[in-house]
Amino acid sequence: MEIINLKAAIPEVFAQRTDIMSDVWLKDLSFEKNMCYLIEANSGTGKSSLCSYVYGYRKDYQGRIFFDEENICELNIKAWVEIRKKHLSLLWQELRLFPELTALENVLLKNKLTGFKKRKQIEEWFDRLGIDDKKNVLVGRMSFGQQQRVALIRALCQPFDFIFVDEPISHLDDSNSQIMAELLKEEVEHQGAGLVATSIGKRMELPYDAVLRL
Amino acid sequence: MKLVWKLLRQHISVPQFAGFFFANLVGMLIVLLGVQFYVDMQSVYNGEDSFMKDDYLIVNKQIGVVTTITGQSNVFTKSEIKDLKKQKFVEKIGAFTPSAFDVSARFDIEGLAKFSTEMFFESVPDEFVDLKTDDWKYDEGDRMIPIILPRNYLDLYNFGFAQSRNIPKLSEGVLGAMKLKISIRGLEQNDEYEGRIVGFSNRLNTILVPERFMLWANEKYAKKKAAEPTRLILQVNNPTDEHITSYLQENNYVTDESKLDASKTTFILRVVIGIVMAIGLIISVLAFYILMLSIYLLVEKNNTKLENLLILGYSPAKVSRPYQWLTVGLNLLVLLLALALLYVIRSIYLHQFQSFFPQLEIPTMWYAVAVGIVLFLIVSIFNIIAVKRKVLSIWNRKES
Repeated sequence: MEIINLKAAIPEVFAQRTDIMSDVWLKDLSFEKNMCYLIEANSGTGKSSLCSYVYGYRKDYQGRIFFDEENICELNIKAWVEIRKKHLSLLWQELRLFPELTALENVLLKNKLTGFKKRKQIEEWFDRLGIDDKKNVLVGRMSFGQQQRVALIRALCQPFDFIFVDEPISHLDDSNSQIMAELLKEEVEHQGAGLVATSIGKRMELPYDAVLRL
Repeated sequence: MKLVWKLLRQHISVPQFAGFFFANLVGMLIVLLGVQFYVDMQSVYNGEDSFMKDDYLIVNKQIGVVTTITGQSNVFTKSEIKDLKKQKFVEKIGAFTPSAFDVSARFDIEGLAKFSTEMFFESVPDEFVDLKTDDWKYDEGDRMIPIILPRNYLDLYNFGFAQSRNIPKLSEGVLGAMKLKISIRGLEQNDEYEGRIVGFSNRLNTILVPERFMLWANEKYAKKKAAEPTRLILQVNNPTDEHITSYLQENNYVTDESKLDASKTTFILRVVIGIVMAIGLIISVLAFYILMLSIYLLVEKNNTKLENLLILGYSPAKVSRPYQWLTVGLNLLVLLLALALLYVIRSIYLHQFQSFFPQLEIPTMWYAVAVGIVLFLIVSIFNIIAVKRKVLSIWNRKES
């Protein structure tokens, strides 16, 4: 996958509105590999919706979204499973971790599917992000900030052409945000992928190529 | 898969699955027991007369004091046969042809016993003998004559003769492999033949040979074309039909009443087994329903987990698998346990059977096993599809 292309896409709930002033909605917009995008927005303008649309989780939008030449509406289940395993990673705003599993189990659940990272690498990330002692703690017992770091590690345990991170540092202090940004940058550069981050104010410090208002 | 299972086993309700397990076990056991019992009973009935169907009746005229004194004939006249043919309950009618020559038979069981006896032959049209044509074939001039003996003869030997002399009892199979030496005398001719026993009957109290042999031998040894029949064989559409009894009584004909009763018993037995099996099936269906409800509840309770797994990149097939294995495993366990229980129960009733019918050849359990496997497959396939569909509905919920 080289390009994600939005053609006049807009959430159905906004379709009747005439006051849309956005760099994304109703525009012809492309996300490319090796590029870094920041989407800034107030809450309720559809950041998470955009992520869900691109990830094939929701379809309640008008307009079209393409992966290269392929309209994503026409992808079948098998194709989506492949895309989610090998081409597209998403760090959800609500994280979608399993509270019944430990932090490490949550990460391994993804990594066993993709077989992408070595156990040593994963443990090293836990260490770098300062949650080494939480590896075997149930996610349900961790703070949201700690969970955000676990979710990031999980999101990196797969090959991807694009990674979307939806408000990844909303509950982190500056130093942890910094570490997270470095880790993300390393991995994105290593994979030659495109990055799309969203923010409602607190932005991750990354060398953005473009900043878009939603 | 271990982690997936760790997630998805949450909310599994043991009482619900135990409920399904026992309900399905009972249902399955009843169905299999019905099938096996039917097969086993069938062997008892078939063992009696494999070549005579239940809907055959043998009819003759009553021989009373008056007939003996007056010398009144007990042969069936043509008009009487015609009248019988007209009856609604009759499908086919055939006459017994008696032999018009002398027959004696010698029977030599190597080193054990020798019999020699005067006897007679009778024949019925071949269409009434339900044997493979090869077994019941006779070509004019053949030395080998296929014979059907009354089972009484075998019982007489096994329970009378062999018992009192302490010599081994004979099964039908062993006897079938032995040869009878048969001498036929008539019209200054004296010939030796070999008899091969192809079956035993307790419906026919006569020694039956192929009709073709009989017509040929009557002609050759007695210069007789056709004797008037004293006994008739009827195929009826329903042996339990009351019209048969009343018609026979009106015309002073006799048939073996106990055989009519036996066919009634068989019929009733079939109905009873059918009902029992239907009940078993209903229980199985209800058990299946319980299982489906449990699975649906489980899927509903674990909805978020399943959805998040799908979002992580697990395919619907992979996510469905733990629940599919769970149901298939349970079904398999039910099948194996039901078969084991069936084996135990069967060995108890077969023990009883064998004391009633010592020469009974025990059928295998393959029928029940086959039915069990078919049921298992049907239920499992339904389960697999249902789980998959449920998981797919989770996938599609957000898409549609």
